[in-house]
Amino acid sequence: MRKVIERVLNLLAFLLTVGRPVTADEIRQTVAGYGSSGDEAFRRMFERDKDLLRRLGIPLRMEATDAWSVEYGYVVPPEEYRMEDPGLTDEERAALWLAARVVRVGGGPVVSSAVLKLGGARLGDDVEPIAADLGADAETLGALFQAVTERRIVEFDYRGRRRRVHPHGLGHRRGHWYLVGTEGGAPRTYRIDRTSGVVVGDEADAFEPDPEVNLERALRPQPWEAGAEPPVKARVRFDPEVAWWAARRLDDVTFSPGQPLEVELEVSNPDAFIGWVLTFGPRARLLSPPELVHRLVERVRGVA
Amino acid sequence: MTRPSDRTAGRLTRILAMLPWVIANPGATVAEVCERFGYRQEELIQDLRLVFMCGLPGYGPGDLIVAQVEGDRVVVEMADYFAQAPRLTPAEALALLSAGLALLGAGQASDALESAVAKLSRVLVPDGEELLAVDLDAEPELVAELRRAALEGRVVTIDYVSLGRNRETVRRVEPWLVFSSLGNWYLFGHDHLSGEERVFRVDRIRTLEISDERFEPPREVPEPQIRYVPSDDDVQCVIDLGPRARWVIDYYPVEILSEDGDAVRVRFSSTDPSVPAGLLLRLGADAVLVEGDEVAEALARLREEVLALYQDR
Repeated sequence: MRKVIERVLNLLAFLLTVGRPVTADEIRQTVAGYGSSGDEAFRRMFERDKDLLRRLGIPLRMEATDAWSVEYGYVVPPEEYRMEDPGLTDEERAALWLAARVVRVGGGPVVSSAVLKLGGARLGDDVEPIAADLGADAETLGALFQAVTERRIVEFDYRGRRRRVHPHGLGHRRGHWYLVGTEGGAPRTYRIDRTSGVVVGDEADAFEPDPEVNLERALRPQPWEAGAEPPVKARVRFDPEVAWWAARRLDDVTFSPGQPLEVELEVSNPDAFIGWVLTFGPRARLLSPPELVHRLVERVRGVA
Repeated sequence: MTRPSDRTAGRLTRILAMLPWVIANPGATVAEVCERFGYRQEELIQDLRLVFMCGLPGYGPGDLIVAQVEGDRVVVEMADYFAQAPRLTPAEALALLSAGLALLGAGQASDALESAVAKLSRVLVPDGEELLAVDLDAEPELVAELRRAALEGRVVTIDYVSLGRNRETVRRVEPWLVFSSLGNWYLFGHDHLSGEERVFRVDRIRTLEISDERFEPPREVPEPQIRYVPSDDDVQCVIDLGPRARWVIDYYPVEILSEDGDAVRVRFSSTDPSVPAGLLLRLGADAVLVEGDEVAEALARLREEVLALYQDR
């Protein structure tokens, strides 16, 4: 490992200072650590080293070494290598480190390397007795996040079809990650754990964001608010023994113990709403509007 | 599992992060650098020795990096090209930002975290646009109280409605950990009633009382098991889930029997038939009960009860 790290540090130092694209051959002749190896050994070593640099997020690219594009070489542009300094204080770094230990997005090493890159942090060993796991595959999320911030078009499989999407935002709601964007000009929301074969386009700034797409609106906190139908007001009454549980689920609702709870909610996804009301069985009654009550009754009658 | 290349990448990242900080903070002590970058002293010395062997082509005294310990101070010179740390990968940026946003949204954030998230967003997200929204399904009051009880090591008494039983029990629990997973908050700890470690869903806790009785938490809290383990006494049934009901497999402890495209056949176990019956009622035409007489009876009963509410229709 020691030899690999020495060699890669030498390679990186060279690429950051040379100021022009350099060919693999030149690297082999110039950079300490490659010199004595045979062709095949060099090729394998060099592949591995490039892979290591890319894993660290270092922008290693190929560019033409001359105006006629006859020959290509490697570059690491120094201005892309480093990040603009966010100017964090020690206290802010420690707060981020702690947050990242408490709320995990698919694993540990990603987070500790991020905090180190920002300048490290002092932190005691007392671990908070609270933790949250935002799940999902950190690499897929990372790729989609890059696509969102750099406005790159993404393609992936979703519900049996290949999609081509202009990604506008990412969100975590109700235990899942969602991608919000447009497909063929229409606003769409996708659950990320149901996507596969995600490919991020090569071109940055490949689309103009659609002002109609609103991340907060697309990811409304309640499932019955996240629908395509025109919103209607629905009234529901919950029996005293389930009132506490319903109230927990709703924002800004107060209930008195031992009393039934009656609420009016805005519904734009009736199916999700009826499903939720039915989880309370006979202890919740939908009062209005009549169309929704009708749909509920039809649904219950249809159960074999 | 850690692959050897993970260790190499980790070590290289730490070197490329440590060097800029030492360059920007001349006179930093060995102890400071170790604390900040999580080094043991001998690890730091090893990494400095390694860096000392590196530099620019020519590799003579004027080309190599100076990296060593002088007295109790770390000295790094001749490494201007490593004066800034590499940028965050998209995965790293996302992990940090979403952790920060999640805690901000849950109302548990310090001022330092709020300003840290603002500063990071400015650098990582173009034009200050709102591209990332992270919500934990927080239960602020109960979660905060349970967390306090866990910190102080106090036994709690809860009125609990279990998911598998649909029945309420009063339990005394030693709270070890409060955590969120798949959109729900959980309490993990030692349950006096069963004498075992148990996981409780926070939204199923109807009332909570924090007692003055203290407990000694285990030195290492084991990883909580959220999944429900079926027992022989359980009621079992087989359900066909249509594409629109597929989410059930993510939320309930079911066994997948077969899959056909987006449709899936599952075995559902629970201690009480009213649990799968309630689920079937909710799913309507998106799910079909294939097997399970007890569940079929419970479903018919439930259906009658619900329809009775709407008799006038």
